[in-house]
Amino acid sequence: MATIREKGYYHWDGRLEERRFPWWPITRTGIQLAFKKKGFRFLFAGQFLPPVIFMAVIYASENLENFKFMVRGSDRIISITPGSFKFFFTFGPVVFLCVMMLVFAGAGLIADDLKHNSLQVYFSRPLRKRDYLLGKMAVVLFFVLIVTLVPGLLLVLSKLVLSGSLRFFLEYPWLVLSILGYSVVLAVVFAFYTLLLSALNKNSRFVMIMIFLTYIFSDILSALLRETFRTPYMILVSIRANLEQVGAFLFAQKSAYPVPVGWSFVVLAALCALSAVVLNTKIRSVEVVK
Amino acid sequence: MDEKNHRPAVSFWASAREVFGFFFFLGRRTGKTRVFFLLGMIPAAMGVLVRILVAGRAEDYAAVFNEILMLVYVTFYIVILPLFYGTSIVAEELEGRTLPYLTSRPLSKPGIFLGKYAAYTSLMFLMVTASLALSYFIMNGHRLGDPELYLTFLRYVGVLGLGLLAYTALFAFLGTFLRRAILIGLMFGFGWENVIQYFPGSTQRFSLVHYLKSLLPRQAASGGKFALLLFRLEPSPPAAAVVSLALIAAVFVALACWIFRTKEYLFEE
Amino acid sequence: MTAVIAAKSLSKWYGNVLGLNDVSLEIEAGITGLLGPNGAGKSTFMKLITGQMRPNIGEVTIGGRSVWNNFPLFSSIGFCPEQDAFYEDVTGWEFLTGMIRFHGFPPEEAAERASRALATVELLGDKDRRIRSYSRGMRQRIKFAQAIAHDPGIIILDEPFNGLDPLGKRKLIRLVKDFRSQGRTILVSSHVLPEIEAVTSKIIMIHHGKILAEGDIHKIRDLIETYPHMISVRSNAPRALAAAFVGDASILKMSFGPDGRSLVVETHARDAFFGRLQSVVVEGGFEVEEITSPDDNLQAVFDYLVGG
Repeated sequence: MATIREKGYYHWDGRLEERRFPWWPITRTGIQLAFKKKGFRFLFAGQFLPPVIFMAVIYASENLENFKFMVRGSDRIISITPGSFKFFFTFGPVVFLCVMMLVFAGAGLIADDLKHNSLQVYFSRPLRKRDYLLGKMAVVLFFVLIVTLVPGLLLVLSKLVLSGSLRFFLEYPWLVLSILGYSVVLAVVFAFYTLLLSALNKNSRFVMIMIFLTYIFSDILSALLRETFRTPYMILVSIRANLEQVGAFLFAQKSAYPVPVGWSFVVLAALCALSAVVLNTKIRSVEVVK
Repeated sequence: MDEKNHRPAVSFWASAREVFGFFFFLGRRTGKTRVFFLLGMIPAAMGVLVRILVAGRAEDYAAVFNEILMLVYVTFYIVILPLFYGTSIVAEELEGRTLPYLTSRPLSKPGIFLGKYAAYTSLMFLMVTASLALSYFIMNGHRLGDPELYLTFLRYVGVLGLGLLAYTALFAFLGTFLRRAILIGLMFGFGWENVIQYFPGSTQRFSLVHYLKSLLPRQAASGGKFALLLFRLEPSPPAAAVVSLALIAAVFVALACWIFRTKEYLFEE
Repeated sequence: MTAVIAAKSLSKWYGNVLGLNDVSLEIEAGITGLLGPNGAGKSTFMKLITGQMRPNIGEVTIGGRSVWNNFPLFSSIGFCPEQDAFYEDVTGWEFLTGMIRFHGFPPEEAAERASRALATVELLGDKDRRIRSYSRGMRQRIKFAQAIAHDPGIIILDEPFNGLDPLGKRKLIRLVKDFRSQGRTILVSSHVLPEIEAVTSKIIMIHHGKILAEGDIHKIRDLIETYPHMISVRSNAPRALAAAFVGDASILKMSFGPDGRSLVVETHARDAFFGRLQSVVVEGGFEVEEITSPDDNLQAVFDYLVGG
């Protein structure tokens, strides 16, 4: 039996299914765009240098006999403990490299959307504000976790493999949780921090400067205030010092500064809260120009 | 075409002057300038706090300025400002796609570059001087009748001014041909400069900050933690330092003008 | 007529992509339309003749002088770029006076010229508002104003009608035609054919970086031999008219218009057909209401050259 189908418009009878993770395309695009920049690829590769060095130290610690001729009093010097992991994660240059990576991967996340009036394009889709922000945040979370959590877990694994026993793990069973916890804290704080600055200006070059400047200047200012007013509480001004305090707590180590670690948690939480307020205000689909 | 409307081309110096006028005016308007200005007020605010909250001798306040606040100016403020404004000279015209408005006028390209360089350097000089004046006179308020105070202030202004000229010239040069000049600028300004200045011997001379520190007045060493500013400094003679900084600025500006004149700039599509 | 703008063997590459392919042409005084689809090479050509880019091969001259890095030339050129880009933090007045001052005019004269230009584009009432608050149409008009404020002899307009409403477009078209009567040379680019047709019949057609045709639209049409001319005759008795032409060897095809009152004829010998039509109408006593050439327009010419 033959049929002649009508070629006119007819209603689609299918079911429209909402994407389960509406923020995922935003995250995927942000990551792809970051990797397109040559300077960023160079910086990203550089992030893995400290873990490689740390892994070499772990190797040396397990093969002390072979390296004894290089090291005097070696039994005490190369000994891998949670303190070593805390040192690795909170070491100034390592965190600084992370910030530099954010300068290039994160500066334009919202700034470029503001510049090109893309927010209207985003919100004309079935996308909520929180999906948009989550998608952007996930870009930063991805990059920070991949250079902290992943190397951290691999370092624990390499320690276990190279030592040939589970002794290290049994002695410090909470270490993996510490690594996870600190990596997440670092990633979340940096995500809020980066997006806050990215949302404040349309010029991504200016945002790059501000991400770097705010981080470094907070540290400098903290040091100056500490020496001027002779009080250790001025470390609360420094983002780096607060992260170090939190790191010491999570790795069950002695704090670097005689300041209750709760204050550092409060400061970092306040930073995240401020960022959330600013992002909620700045991200809207319609811009009012006065 | 009506011949009376035909005007001769604008000379190099006239180009620079007109461009200077436009961008000095524009630069004052932007939000970014306000942010940097407020940032520059932090040392002044610190000075006020110290005077109010910290009981000390007059010499202590002066030491706070010489060793702490000047550290912020010399190693941080006059590096970060030129990094942004210097790289912006060309980068903002490309990002904003406003370059045709300048290059389709009878303005010489080196004149355009020099005009923007002068505009942004002047703007930064004003910001830095205002901040420096506030913090300096607050911390040295006990000596306002001493003429030496003002001479020292002028010396500080001169040092920071030379620093602005040199750093802006360098970063502007990088900005004329590098797409990611900020990365290289950060590595130079806060990596190389921070490390090499502590190397012994002539190696120090491969940093701009060495020459700036050579020009700072030598205060009696307090022995405190913050003699960092002059730590390990093997100073160059002042005249040599001034000439070196001026030469560095001139060479990089000249190179940048040449690149800007000959290079073809395409917008990213 | 001497050429004002001349391009000789002009080629431009963007990496491995050829933007302009061996273009040689001359542009005389008056209005010339530069026509082509998106990506054809119009903006590349505009940028080369305004010195924004340097040709890889060949040369472009204005008044016999090479354009690249020849800034004195720009005192008599006004360029309205395609991009919607401005110094957003200044007002329209500040922007315009700044641009005029770049031509070496003193402040008082710059102010007077700015007023005149703003009045021309009907932005005098909004001159003290920041450009970031301007609508799309206002931005396009201020862009045009900065191109004409210094009274240039050569005006290059890259997609000047973008963002304008129909009334704005009409006003701009009238303005452009006024400039022609003042003896200026104007090059207008667009991918919207009716806009070009409204300002000029002298066109340059560009596609894939090559010049397809240049000159008067109608003369170009005549040169397209592969396509027969289409002529529509509207009369009281189209079928009887058709019967009179059936035996004519120069007629390739005949059809009737959708209204049933038009006879549409395709022929290679247009002049011969018109001569024959005259005698058929007189002898047959037909009442002819209208004679048109549906394909003697820019769209048809463009379609033939590009689509064929």
